[in-house]
Amino acid sequence: MTHALLPVLPEAVLLAAACTVLLLDLFLPPSRRHWSFWLTQATLLACAAITVATAELQPLHAFGGLVVDDMLSDFLKLLSCVAVSTMLFYSRGYLAVRGLFRGEVLVLTMLALLGMMVMISAASFLTLYLGLELLALCLYSMVAMHRTSNAASEAAMKYFVLGALASGMLLYGMSMVYGATGSLDIHRIARVIHAGQGNGTVLLFGLVFVVSGIAFKLGAVPYHMWVPDVYHGAPTAVTLLIGTAPKLAAFALTLRLLGVALAGLEFDWQGMLIVLSLLSMVLGNVTAIAQTNIKRMLAYSTIANMGFMLLGFLAANLAGYSAAMFYVVAYVLTSLASFGVVMLLAREGFEADRIEDFRGLNQRSPWWAFIMLLVMFSLAGVPPTLGFYAKFAVIEAAVGAGFIWLAVAAVLASLVGAFYYLRVVKVMYFEDAVDTTPIVARGDNRALLSANGLALLLFGILPQPLMGLCVVALAQSGFL
Amino acid sequence: MFDAALLNIVVYLPLGGIALLLAAPAGQDAFVRRLTLGLMTLQLALVAWLYLRFDPTVAGLQFETRLPWIASWGVHYQIGLDGYNVLLVLMTAFLGPLVVAGAFTAIRKDVKLFYSMVLLIQFAMLGTFVAQDLFLFYVFWETMLIPMFLMIGIWGGERRIYATIKFFLYTAFGSILMLAAVIYLVLSLQSTTGITSFAFADLYRSQLPLDVQCILLAAFGLSFAIKVPMVPLHTWLPDAHVEAPTAGSVILAGVLLKMGTYGFMKLGFPLFPDATLAFTPAIMFLAVVSIVYGACVALVQTDIKKIIAYSSISHLGYVMLGLVSLNLYGIQGAVIQMVSHGLTAAGLFLMVGMIYERCHTRELADYGGLAKLLPVYSVFFAILTLASIGLPTTSGFTGEFLVLLGAFGAAWQQYELGSTLPLALASVAVSGVVLGALYMLWFAQRFLFGAAKAPHQPFGDLDLRERAILGIIVAAVFVLGLFPDEPMRKTELAAKQFQQLVGTSRTGVRAAGEPGRGPAASENGAPRFARAGTGSAP
Amino acid sequence: MITAPALAHYLVLGAILFAIAMAGIFLNRKNVIILLMAIELMLLAVNMNFIAFSSFMDDMAGQVFVFFILTVAAAESAIGLAILVLLFRNVGTINVEDLDRLKG
Repeated sequence: MTHALLPVLPEAVLLAAACTVLLLDLFLPPSRRHWSFWLTQATLLACAAITVATAELQPLHAFGGLVVDDMLSDFLKLLSCVAVSTMLFYSRGYLAVRGLFRGEVLVLTMLALLGMMVMISAASFLTLYLGLELLALCLYSMVAMHRTSNAASEAAMKYFVLGALASGMLLYGMSMVYGATGSLDIHRIARVIHAGQGNGTVLLFGLVFVVSGIAFKLGAVPYHMWVPDVYHGAPTAVTLLIGTAPKLAAFALTLRLLGVALAGLEFDWQGMLIVLSLLSMVLGNVTAIAQTNIKRMLAYSTIANMGFMLLGFLAANLAGYSAAMFYVVAYVLTSLASFGVVMLLAREGFEADRIEDFRGLNQRSPWWAFIMLLVMFSLAGVPPTLGFYAKFAVIEAAVGAGFIWLAVAAVLASLVGAFYYLRVVKVMYFEDAVDTTPIVARGDNRALLSANGLALLLFGILPQPLMGLCVVALAQSGFL
Repeated sequence: MFDAALLNIVVYLPLGGIALLLAAPAGQDAFVRRLTLGLMTLQLALVAWLYLRFDPTVAGLQFETRLPWIASWGVHYQIGLDGYNVLLVLMTAFLGPLVVAGAFTAIRKDVKLFYSMVLLIQFAMLGTFVAQDLFLFYVFWETMLIPMFLMIGIWGGERRIYATIKFFLYTAFGSILMLAAVIYLVLSLQSTTGITSFAFADLYRSQLPLDVQCILLAAFGLSFAIKVPMVPLHTWLPDAHVEAPTAGSVILAGVLLKMGTYGFMKLGFPLFPDATLAFTPAIMFLAVVSIVYGACVALVQTDIKKIIAYSSISHLGYVMLGLVSLNLYGIQGAVIQMVSHGLTAAGLFLMVGMIYERCHTRELADYGGLAKLLPVYSVFFAILTLASIGLPTTSGFTGEFLVLLGAFGAAWQQYELGSTLPLALASVAVSGVVLGALYMLWFAQRFLFGAAKAPHQPFGDLDLRERAILGIIVAAVFVLGLFPDEPMRKTELAAKQFQQLVGTSRTGVRAAGEPGRGPAASENGAPRFARAGTGSAP
Repeated sequence: MITAPALAHYLVLGAILFAIAMAGIFLNRKNVIILLMAIELMLLAVNMNFIAFSSFMDDMAGQVFVFFILTVAAAESAIGLAILVLLFRNVGTINVEDLDRLKG
């Protein structure tokens, strides 16, 4: 017999560890700061291990149906832990040099992860909202963490206002759905809508706000204004955090809200997602061409990539959801490596965030140039890198669902995208290095970043395990 | 079983080579060069063995490997040799060691990376040729792009960045539309037959209405036509050729361009037979335009690399013409022409590289009377020029002659049915032969004869390495010219299969496999082209 | 004669509050504090909706949700004001129009 709280054991461990690190850090001299770091890493490892060990094929519910522990949430939680742990390894040196490597960073990161985990396994509007806010509040403060930076505080303010606005819209939508169906439980809402009992007009009104809120959180055009400013203004370590694991949680949020609760309104939200997806792919890729700052360029690339993810999602069947999930996973892996390389090149007083800072990287370090090459080709969707299979999957899902013209627009948009990714490769390989400072980093950071880059190639050659996991996780979680 | 494993080894050998190169200590350039040459030679030996073991009396795949790869999408790892690709694989493997040896002295910057790129391209090209699954084909096809992009961009000439980005965007544009078409094709196969498969053999059974076939052929064809390249999609080629290092030009002209024609032969036409029929006049017209336009533009070039680049456009026009003639002479001629052009263009580009290493200029006006300065060089150059023109006993003759024979055969049948356009086009194509002789001979005359001049004198004549490279190519040119029978036997069954596939309507209106044209095509006003075999090739 | 307000009246009030909040966020070009107030107002509009639905449907869940929203809103304002203080210290202004360092 399993204990009723077993499904939330990873969250419980994470919360306890976050409190412990918070207290412990008060009494640690700065020279012992690495204790907190390794304790955090151990916690993340433990969370991942518990998630795997307690994984079951059948969904388990806890807290009276507020939380669900299914294969989908196990898979996404595991990946979130891995992504956050990797992010901490990548950012350790970067933060230390800037005097930001303090206990708060670790605690806030852990709490943000807790928010993501709650979001991922939420089965009710209440838990979805709480997870979302926990994540968002941690991220707001982390963006502002660099207290003397004008850009960071401006980015934090913009992120805060627009993030709060998005939460407000999402909540307003949720209140309407609640009013129409009489429940906050996503499965019960789905049943009510399926039985045709909900109030159609109110439901539709709520749906519009819910979709807007989701689009804000994903950063889809026309709700994308915050993405470039926040990516640009935040310290790169925080940009890395924002750009990776929360995307997994945002996917879960989208899936739970649209794919489960509002599945009965599929034809209504499909139309909205088509517009969001198309605008994101086109505007994201076109605007990215004009950027000179690589963090900003990657921000617009995120917008475009979220458009591609929605392209798979709007097929609204198992093939579409699994393609979208595969896309998000591939994107997170690629994104980790991209900001990882940016942080690797950064040093004291130098952010390495302009594209020209990558000039002649091949001469300075052929290996890191090669890793960045893999990242860029993966983002551009050139085989045999992982990004190609991800794009293939979502386009195939869209064509399979009959959205042929949208798929054609998507491939054309990805061609536009190839242009600016290629520019980074051009700068790295075809131009001569101006800056010849040697690249220094800790051994664990280098090993992990290399593995991360090579994974893009390895999963490109053998995508089946990852793809298969996405399909199985979704199929076992009731998306058939 | 053993031979199938051998084919895999052939394909993956270059990847192993890259691993060895990366493991090699820095500064060992001579070792890197020799290692790569050794690997390429070993690969050629293995391919030659497979070529000899290839049984021309068996239709379909030989040395086949088929393993599940991406089960969720029904994708298989399936490779094998058949009459379509066997000659091209041999040619690719043949050019490998020559490319490597040709770059021994020319490349001094980042030698390890350069040879890794050469090996990577070799891997991707062989993979593209032997792939028998559309998804695998696409992955290999796109993989070719990355090393070529870097090769032109890092080791190219002055405007290399412009050239390489143009090359990348052109080819990426083509292939990305092909991707959309691939997805649509596979999904429609799935919905009509219930099979989810990317295997060529399964896709050849797809049934699609004519309008869908036309759109899909346009998407596939755009991608292939950019690679060929057919006028008006050719503008990337002169830039890429001029800026690429010699090895890049050789690979580009020798093998990469054949990817386009191979794509049409293996995929574009047989997958969409009814659309092919509808498009035949247009394709024939573009092929003839390519022949004549390439020749005319080559006539007025002042950069010797550009002359050969435009001559490639002209020569590949013949290949397209032979393929759309859809009779055995034309198809087999097209295959021979592909191989022949691979040899002569590779040889000519290597020779341009050799003179460039000595004189550091590609301007034709800077040269003259090389026959006096470099007698051995001039002899080789003259032979390759004549082979490029298509003089009898050289490979160029066999290819062009068969293509024109096929084109006229098809055109005559059309003429008897009342359509004069094909006959007119075929006649114009003949004028391409004359134009070809004109620009190449004029070029050779200005280059080799007259008052002796060349910058950066004095320089020595060809050394042993360069003589060996050119000697091997010239020998191959003559072998193919004098004994075309043996390679043509290997491709004959594939040519017949191609003819049969393209000659069978698959609009879904008529039962699959029924020979003859469906009514759909003629309703669309397409001229009825002869389909039946007009006898076996000589 | 006085009749008890119907559900629709509460919803309309909620919608008006929400619209005022939206207008406050999008039209305001002057002061960041007004943005924070508008955000609070938006959450109050949501609360109004939840309580009205909850009361008319006799379902407690909506009112429980409101308690959570109120708590989160408090935390949110705390962080918002903290960021505001930081911004003022760094930039020396809380004028919305002056927040234009990041663009492109």
